[in-house]
Amino acid sequence: MTQFLADTPFLADTQFLPDSSPAAPRYHPAIETLAEYAAGQLRAGFDVVMAAHLRGCALCRDEVAQFEALGGGLLDSIEPACLDDGALAVAMARLDEPAPTDTGPLSRSLDQLLAGGRRRWIAPGIWIAPIDTPHEPETRVFLLRVGAGSATAHHRHSGVEMTQVLVGALNDNGVIYHAGDMVELDQRHAHHPQVAGNEPCICLFATHGRLKPTTLLGRLAFALAGV
Amino acid sequence: MPMPKPGNTGSVQLLGLMARVAARDREAFAALFQLAAPRVKAYLVRLGSAPTAAEEVTQDVFLTIWRKADRFNPAKAGVMTWIFVIARNRRIDGLRREASTVTYGTTPPDAVDDDTPTAHDAIAACQHEQCVRRAIALLPPDQQEVIKRAYWDEQAHSAIATALDIPLGTVKSRLRLALTRLRAAIKDLK
Repeated sequence: MTQFLADTPFLADTQFLPDSSPAAPRYHPAIETLAEYAAGQLRAGFDVVMAAHLRGCALCRDEVAQFEALGGGLLDSIEPACLDDGALAVAMARLDEPAPTDTGPLSRSLDQLLAGGRRRWIAPGIWIAPIDTPHEPETRVFLLRVGAGSATAHHRHSGVEMTQVLVGALNDNGVIYHAGDMVELDQRHAHHPQVAGNEPCICLFATHGRLKPTTLLGRLAFALAGV
Repeated sequence: MPMPKPGNTGSVQLLGLMARVAARDREAFAALFQLAAPRVKAYLVRLGSAPTAAEEVTQDVFLTIWRKADRFNPAKAGVMTWIFVIARNRRIDGLRREASTVTYGTTPPDAVDDDTPTAHDAIAACQHEQCVRRAIALLPPDQQEVIKRAYWDEQAHSAIATALDIPLGTVKSRLRLALTRLRAAIKDLK
């Protein structure tokens, strides 16, 4: 237990999303994932991870803008539907409605969303903070913090996983992912990510389908965390 | 209401309308509504919305357009793109009533921009939108189809798999190929 306390890192990880990454990201979402996001078709939860990537990636922001323009072009070419009689009159009559002052939880920012997760220590140096996505019960979004030199449980997926490295670096099957990079995996992969370098690593994950931990620690950790 | 023809709402014409809507011109708003509202409704219906619900959401979308018109930045996006983003976001908000979601998209309609666009920027954004449209038209029909479905089908990937009778795993690669070709076509047109 002391190990947990000695390692208490409520330190610099209060800010997960620096406004500018030290270097341009090298690993990006796939082109079809960017288009899915722009089309509004990316599964809930995964869009949170995508938003975290876009914050630090001008290249992908441009791609998404391009795919939004594609959405505009498609909207322009769609066969128009018939509106109800009097639709225009209804619209005109509403123009003087007072605008709502409170936009409610929808306007919660990415930072607020990430800060809202309650951290649970699951092993020495490792905490997990589930991010609330009640509209999509089968997708789990969470922040995972792993101390330097630690490995996470070797696991397989029954679904897909999207990971954005926020702090530090991650080594997965010999590829090093730095802060700002995104890793997309599907069910074909078994992996065993390890922290690269001397800094703890904080990642934002979204996963659909249950993880299948293949080690005892993994089973324990993931069972405890309810992932 | 009479139905406008698909396509060719005319980017430049829309740009003029939007400027007047931003200046609180109700006549211009009515014209914009008649041009674009039937398309927004069609988009929502295509994505699985019942016509009554789609009509309501379309009304909400246009109220948002009216309220946020002054924040439309023609240097960033064309008018139909901006409307698409508002409709897309409104649809997602409706789907996620529990609403613990982040503000969606990189061009949120309420993004405040300090840089005043020049006429040149606006023309560039406008040309970009037209360019994207021309690029779609250049793709082979099956690739146009896969892209349209990715935007317009509910549960797009499984719908594509069923419609084109291909395995779900092939959908991603098919879509990737179509989008890569589209991106190349856009580059060529510029």
